Amino acid sequence: MRVALADDGALFRNGLVLLLEAAGHEVVGCTADGDTLVELLTTEPADVAILDIKMPPEPDGGLSTAERLRADHPELGLLFLSHYAETHYLLRVLHIGTEAIGYRLKEKVGSVEVLSDTLTRIRDGEIVIEPVLAQRLVERPSSSRRDMLATLSEREMDVLRLMSEGRSNAGIANLLFVAAKSIEKHISSIFLKLGLPSDAAEQHRRVLAVLTFLRSAQEIG
Amino acid sequence: MTLDTYNAAHSARRRADEHWSRRRDLERQLHDGPALRIAALALRLGLLAQKARCDVGGLPHDIEELQNQLHLIQQELRAVADRIYPPLLHEAGLGPALRELASNASLRVDADGGRFDPAVEGVAYFAVLAVLAALQPATRTVDVVIRRDADGLALDVGNVDTGQIGAVRDRVQWVGGVAEVRGGLIGTIKVRIPCE
Repeated sequence: MRVALADDGALFRNGLVLLLEAAGHEVVGCTADGDTLVELLTTEPADVAILDIKMPPEPDGGLSTAERLRADHPELGLLFLSHYAETHYLLRVLHIGTEAIGYRLKEKVGSVEVLSDTLTRIRDGEIVIEPVLAQRLVERPSSSRRDMLATLSEREMDVLRLMSEGRSNAGIANLLFVAAKSIEKHISSIFLKLGLPSDAAEQHRRVLAVLTFLRSAQEIG
Repeated sequence: MTLDTYNAAHSARRRADEHWSRRRDLERQLHDGPALRIAALALRLGLLAQKARCDVGGLPHDIEELQNQLHLIQQELRAVADRIYPPLLHEAGLGPALRELASNASLRVDADGGRFDPAVEGVAYFAVLAVLAALQPATRTVDVVIRRDADGLALDVGNVDTGQIGAVRDRVQWVGGVAEVRGGLIGTIKVRIPCE
């Protein structure tokens, strides 16, 4: 895969380049700020761009850079790596896009397998969310959405949690050791219980379900 | 006499400003130093695991275990940083920092997005935290309203144990603020902190 990255910490940046190369990826660009990366990607095609959230241009250079990249190259996958596991940043990431996008902790992508799995899923259009963050949001929903989520069965909550990590139906079926057909049934039931419009496209409803779920922990909009 | 009182208030406020700025700097230092080093170290270990992938003595597994330990250290550093000065408080202000707590507590935050200096935001944040800590978890939804008006910060913490007024007053007086109660045992604590 062709990967470009921007991070203002030299130590982490260099480590990431070494690990990406060991995983067999081609690093087409490596910069210390967002503006240089945007410029570089005008001539150099890439599959995924890896961005530090806090880097120049200040204050949240990764987020502003991602908005420009998404506008310039809608096909380019975006992976945010951060020291901070905050729902505040997660929601800002999801505002930029809910497809081919990811938010993970810097110290959690430190293996060839995890790094490649994360990049592949993003390139294939999935949302990848750091499990500790997704978990925190599921376990403690705030009261206003709690009633709605409370109507979900335990199994449906499991499915929704895995959806919020950006897993596909097949991926969820594998992890829960059940057939993909029954996952589809659970998901229809989740859509119904969360009151999501039946005329919307499947992918659109999926994103809405995940957002409902995430917003249950944080009053936004 | 009047002059003396005036100077004392100013000097207390200056000390408060220094204290909270220092806390914010300490958080920054934790992030820029150990946290970034640990993140980079996790990557180097990953590289080592890749080199040792054919090892039959379980080296890749041991390395993965070390990486898990590094993640736990990072989580502990994040928890310490939040107790010193939450990075989100510095980056985005009271509203977003308190909303982040909504994943641990039942909390509704209505903020107009106004910003204050580090001492005022720090004092207000930790005052709300103290009030939340005094509540039984998940018994009620606390309503926080944050406004920036002509005088400074107006903070209302509603549906809480008003017996916490003493703890709130102790904190906000440090930066020249006042606090009062509206309602009974469960009611609203209103805080006003003057800002320039």
